[in-house]
Amino acid sequence: GDSWGIFTFLCAALCNLPALPALNCSEELGAGQSIQQTYDLTRYLEHQLRTLAGTYLNYLGPPFNEPDFNPPRLARAERVPSATVDLDLWRGLTDNARLAANYRAYSRLLCYLRVLDGQVGTAELRHRLAHFCASLQGLVLSIGGVMSSLGYPLPAGPPAPSGAPPASNDFLKKMDDFWLLKELQTWLWRSAKDFNRLKKRVPPAVVTLRLEARGF
Amino acid sequence: FQYARVGADVTMKCGSMDWDAAVTWTVNGTDIDESHLNGSYLILKNVDLMQSGQYFCYEGSSWHLKYQTYLRVGTPPKEPVLMCRSNNYPKGFYCSWHLPTPTYIPNIFNISVIHGTKEMVCEKDAVLKNRCHIRYLQLFSTVKYKVTLTVTNALGKNFTTLTFDEFAIVKPDPPESVVAKPVPNNPRRLEVSWQNPSSWPDPESFPLKFFLRYRPLILDQWQHVELSDGTSHTITDAYAGKEYIIQVAAKDNDIGTWSDWSVAVHATPWTEEPKHLTTEAQITETTSASTSSFMAPPTTKICDKGAMVGSGAVAVCWTAGLVVAAYSVLFI
Repeated sequence: GDSWGIFTFLCAALCNLPALPALNCSEELGAGQSIQQTYDLTRYLEHQLRTLAGTYLNYLGPPFNEPDFNPPRLARAERVPSATVDLDLWRGLTDNARLAANYRAYSRLLCYLRVLDGQVGTAELRHRLAHFCASLQGLVLSIGGVMSSLGYPLPAGPPAPSGAPPASNDFLKKMDDFWLLKELQTWLWRSAKDFNRLKKRVPPAVVTLRLEARGF
Repeated sequence: FQYARVGADVTMKCGSMDWDAAVTWTVNGTDIDESHLNGSYLILKNVDLMQSGQYFCYEGSSWHLKYQTYLRVGTPPKEPVLMCRSNNYPKGFYCSWHLPTPTYIPNIFNISVIHGTKEMVCEKDAVLKNRCHIRYLQLFSTVKYKVTLTVTNALGKNFTTLTFDEFAIVKPDPPESVVAKPVPNNPRRLEVSWQNPSSWPDPESFPLKFFLRYRPLILDQWQHVELSDGTSHTITDAYAGKEYIIQVAAKDNDIGTWSDWSVAVHATPWTEEPKHLTTEAQITETTSASTSSFMAPPTTKICDKGAMVGSGAVAVCWTAGLVVAAYSVLFI
């Protein structure tokens, strides 16, 4: 009831914040965004996530922090587009589709992480999450920049959370968090491969992006 | 066939013969001593592997064959050793297994691969009996793979399980065709080149990075270089005249672990040929006491680049004392 309304409001409010395509900073960006830098950002985030996930899973406690924990995927509507994809389909993605998939995924992941940020207990965890969200937003902007420089339209901002109501109990909520982190991790692994492919197909525009002060 | 555990007691009945009938037992053609008999029953206590064989039971006087069996002594299987690895990412992975100790009797292996709720088919390797291959249907999966190997024989069964993420088992084969060559007129350089392992199907989309290690044969300490792209590298700090051993390893740029080291190659940097075949050398009295394979060069050339020092030449050159001092450190 109430919690659903709050959740929707929070997400709508927070999710409209990162919907700043590189267009706002186009004067500073100049010719375009280097794909190499975006690739480097995904590697940096993957590294950051390892520490963050370790801390967060410990906070959730067992069994979530056990290395062999391998739960079945519950039949709840998936909130975040999954990185999992058929091999041939992935190979055949156009540059536009490839970039758009990344942009959409990270926009939504950022949104959910921000909601998480408001709920976690310890100060250390809040600090780490905040830092990670800032970096993740940088990635979203970076991908947006690449798309703009290549003349691709940016996908529409993240829609209101579809279908799935928030978890009805504490354990299910923790499961949701667990899968959120898993999806994030898998997307970062996938993005490294996505951007490797893009590097080969699109000559990188060599411009240093001066990122906004937001979180950096 | 009859199976027995090592250390167990085996009792064999001579078919339908009565307990008090007179019989003769043989194993592999040799009569068995009566001390092992209890009436017409054959009692083997605490059997060992040597007692495996063909057993016959003959009626006492008529020498009719009344019973035969082949006894195989063995052990139930210990927990098998299972390993899974993707050396051909993103195509799939293979699993390999073996028993830590032999059982001496036939074993049947059964492997199951489960991905989430789906059971996947593991195709048997064409050549190796203890290996099978899985093809990825999807990439970038969040769900782990669970591989269970069961081993069964007549005396028991055992099993082991592995659970892993798609990314965790990526380990390429070592680089191939590693070649190291000296660089003409460069006594401290070696040019190394290699190729992507042929099992890696798509180096374009899934590039490999490389790790090179090299050392002169006479030293134990390796030097390392990590290379994020390209399949060649020039070593520029080789000790002149020293034979080097060089190896290369590969890893997916982003995921998994390093390959094993490649086959080692040996190379020695270019050294200037001593001009000892001139008539000048024959005329001068400076016959070096060196036992090295080439003739003593003229005095002016002894001090060049330490070319002779490596062979332990006796001749000492005062004017090139610095060079000698540097190399002499290596002989301590």
